[in-house]
Formats: sequence, structure tokens, C-alpha cells
Amino acid sequence: MDQVSSQQPIDQPIASADPQSSPPSLAVAYALAAWIVPGLGHLLLRRWFKAAAFFVAVAALAITGYAMHGQAFSPGFDGSFGLAGFVADIGSGVFYFLSRPFESAGPDLSRAAGEYATRLLAAAGIANILAIIDAYETAGRRRP
Amino acid sequence: MQTHHLTAMSLFALLVSIAFAALGQRTPAARLRRAAVGFALFMAFAIGVAWLFYSVSS
Repeated sequence: MDQVSSQQPIDQPIASADPQSSPPSLAVAYALAAWIVPGLGHLLLRRWFKAAAFFVAVAALAITGYAMHGQAFSPGFDGSFGLAGFVADIGSGVFYFLSRPFESAGPDLSRAAGEYATRLLAAAGIANILAIIDAYETAGRRRP
Repeated sequence: MQTHHLTAMSLFALLVSIAFAALGQRTPAARLRRAAVGFALFMAFAIGVAWLFYSVSS
């Protein structure tokens, strides 16, 4: 008997071989949950450490950014920098939409701390975007 | 909130290192190690670049 032909092809997609893989629509739902509340996607997937790590990291970055009066970009900003800032900021989900309660006095870019805080807000969003992608992949492939 | 620049940078380095470690590693020990190394590299690079700029500007 030919041993080579009896083996599984090594380039077979993991998702189709894994009976625990989620349908694409469910993976999108996990990704959406991960966007709305940082860590929620991983929490629903029972990835406890990742859920806690992403929630703590994103929440602390965003809250510190607001406390230091950073600028959260709105869609109305002109130019590619404003658009990039908006895309980065909105990645933090609920923390972007709660920017007004967190930052009732508004941003203060007259000091260097305000500029640093703007980067902290962007970093929170980017970190959560990475978490969203990871939640989507984890839901689709049930990666350990 | 008045935050020292070094404090803000350290917080940024710590939190981003934790996020990257959670993404890139699968075991708790590997995640802890990656977070510690990432944090140390962030700080070393930032302080090194700061000293480089200081030496160039003065």
C-alpha cells in the first residue's frame, strides 16, 4: 500500500477540516462584538486571558488618553490625517462613542500631553482592530 | 490630568506590549516573556532615540 497517498494533504484548509469551525456569519458576529466592547469577542469565544488583556489594554489606553485631553477624530475632519485618525479612533468601539462623557472639557492640544494623548487614543483603536481580526480568525478556525 | 511624559510613554509601552503578547503567543509564560521583552525594547528604543536627539540638538 502506498503510504504517501493515504496521508492527508498538508495544504488542506484548516477551516474545512475542523468540525468546530464557525460559519462566516457567526465569525462576523464575534468580530462585531469584539469591536463594540473590546475583549467581548474573545470572551464569547472563551478566550479568557485574551479577553481580559484586550479589555484592560484598550480601556486603559483610551481612558488615559481622554484624561490627558487627547483629540478623538470625528468623520468630519478634512484630509487623510483626519481620516486615518478617525479610522484608528473608532476601532476602540464603545470607548470612542463615550468620548464626550469621558472628555467633557474637550481636547487640549496646546500642550504636548494633549498630543501624546491623541496617540494613546489611536493606539487603543489600533490594538482593538488587531483584536477584532484575531477574534474573527479564532471564530473561523477555532485557533487554540 | 497632569501626566509626566515618561509616565505616559511607559504606560503606552506597557499596554501595547500586553496587547501584542496576547496576540502573538499562546501560553501564559510565553505571553509574559513577550510582554516583558516588548516593554523593555519600547523603553530602550525611546530613551535611546531621546538621547540621540538631545545630543544632536545641543
